[in-house]
Amino acid sequence: MSEINEEDWFIPPVKYEYLDHTADVQIHAWGDSLQEAFEQCANAMYGYMTEIEYVEMKETQEIEAEGDDLLGLLFHFLDECLFLFSAEPFFIARKVQILEFDRENFKIKARGFGETFELGKHPQGTEVKAITYSNMQVHEDKNELFVIIDI
Amino acid sequence: MVVRQYNEELKYLEKISAHCWRIKKGFQPNMNVEGVFYVNDHLEKLMLDELRNACRPGMVGGFLPGVKQIANVAALPGIVGKSVGLPDVHSGYGFAIGNMAAFDIGDPKSVVSPGGVGFDINCGVRLLRTNLWEKDVLPVQERLAQSMFDHIPVGVGSKGIIPMNARDLEEALEMGMDWSLREGYIWAEDKEHCEEYGRMLSADPSKVSMRAKKRGLPQLGTLGAGNHYAEIQIVDEIYDKWAAGKMGIEDVGQVCVMIHSGSRGFGHQVATDALVQMEKAMKRDNIETNDRQLACARISSQEGQDYLKSMAAAANFAWVNRSSMTFLCRQAFAKQFNTTPDDLDMHVIYDVSHNIAKTEEHIVDGKQKTLLVHRKGSTRAFPPHHPLIPVDYQLTGQPVLIGGTMGTCSYVLTGTEKGMQETFGSTCHGAGRALSRAKSRRNLDYQEVLNKLEAQGISIRVASPKLVMEEAPESYKNVTDVVDTCHAAGISNKAIKLRPIAVIKG
Repeated sequence: MSEINEEDWFIPPVKYEYLDHTADVQIHAWGDSLQEAFEQCANAMYGYMTEIEYVEMKETQEIEAEGDDLLGLLFHFLDECLFLFSAEPFFIARKVQILEFDRENFKIKARGFGETFELGKHPQGTEVKAITYSNMQVHEDKNELFVIIDI
Repeated sequence: MVVRQYNEELKYLEKISAHCWRIKKGFQPNMNVEGVFYVNDHLEKLMLDELRNACRPGMVGGFLPGVKQIANVAALPGIVGKSVGLPDVHSGYGFAIGNMAAFDIGDPKSVVSPGGVGFDINCGVRLLRTNLWEKDVLPVQERLAQSMFDHIPVGVGSKGIIPMNARDLEEALEMGMDWSLREGYIWAEDKEHCEEYGRMLSADPSKVSMRAKKRGLPQLGTLGAGNHYAEIQIVDEIYDKWAAGKMGIEDVGQVCVMIHSGSRGFGHQVATDALVQMEKAMKRDNIETNDRQLACARISSQEGQDYLKSMAAAANFAWVNRSSMTFLCRQAFAKQFNTTPDDLDMHVIYDVSHNIAKTEEHIVDGKQKTLLVHRKGSTRAFPPHHPLIPVDYQLTGQPVLIGGTMGTCSYVLTGTEKGMQETFGSTCHGAGRALSRAKSRRNLDYQEVLNKLEAQGISIRVASPKLVMEEAPESYKNVTDVVDTCHAAGISNKAIKLRPIAVIKG
């Protein structure tokens, strides 16, 4: 766990939306860079689990993920974020910041800023069961991506 | 996906009876067997509209319609009989939800697919009866609903209250409801009225990742969110007096409790882990499928066997989970009525799994074969005299529990011989979604939905306000349409209709 510095208090603008899908939810995220789109996508997932404004940035958690390709990297990155929430430390992030984004070897090092999920403090949103490869798209030219999360 | 005009697509579909359509080979590439789906006029329209929408020019990246998914499943190696779509079918991950497919274990090419089970392994429904009547419950309805809500942990981020450590979890994964029984949470009779007696013997917790166990431990004994619920229900109509009697249901007005939940984060992680493993196995064994989501592995392969063993552990987790909540419901009722669960006669009528793969014996082309039957959003419905159903139901056929949606009715059906022949003893599982979640959120009003439920005399306790819209009855197909279709097609018989008076949800 690292110190939260002055510049870390910045809350990024919302660059994601939830699209129609019969049984599940499709996240559409974008940004000025692919890295930002990845960050936004993680924020979007956390945003579905609670009302994100209620989350304070009290502590940080390190997130590391790797994949065989860009889709695999996105899958494992989100899966790591989901795992932080679903088990010890039950961490929910107000924002996720990618520190290292290695597009050659498909590796990510990121930091989540948030706190432990607490009933009574954080309104309960919808539970995310899993990340899926279903119709997953990463558009490198437009810095946007689509992921369906199973709920 | 083969792209054709809607009219061209229709040539591959043929209505063969009032409630049944055939999907001919060629509808999707490489189909080994034909597909079939069961609908009535109303559901037929929904089904074909979904296909028509997908055929519109310029449709990119939406999702495959259910009927295409049924056909893709028919192209998997080793499938026998038909790929079956039940009346509640809608688009899912790889398999459609409401899809049944059986694979010949004797054929070395046959596959097992985690997508054919679903992320929520052994998601299912349990029904408890009581000896209370509507008039006993109505005066305390709100208090009882609140008490149930206080007893059962629900919604995102809730944790189980049954004390568990890592070693307890290992034992529970291996023993299923035998663990619950040993620890004193359930009655011995409960086991009798569960599929597999609440324990899959093939479970091997050592095949399960640490990650899944970490997700599972805090969530054991929690209801979850989404479409899961606990409801207090009243018997509204009895269609088959004799079968109802066998289940301990005497008359209209009797009070029951229904629990709909699954294997929580544990099962979700087991499924996720398996999908990653199988991607690799598919490349190695050159298994070709029409859709990347239909990740699968040969049943005989290491990956296939590991999945089946960890799936069984997840199934055991789900039974322990529903058993823990059964315990909590019994406590809530006993406290409210100042008596014991015994004196309230709170027996388990039955417990079904509607997301599971099982090894079963079936007759294929006149020969008995051992099959791996995938049921995703589909419930086993074995006929009278089948050796795998409990003594109490040998003459009625297996009870099939069909959960409605928030505020709508639920049903108890019984299995039939015709179902055994046509659908490998399978039937529907619930209503099936009609509107997307995002659409429900936009189009429905929170207060309106609540007011409507209140007007129907239903007490409601929901942890997440958003869920109220997402799960509103308007978001689903009409469960009565679904059940009537199964009844009319003869794949199961209607026995009892239940209506809710209290709903507890995540």
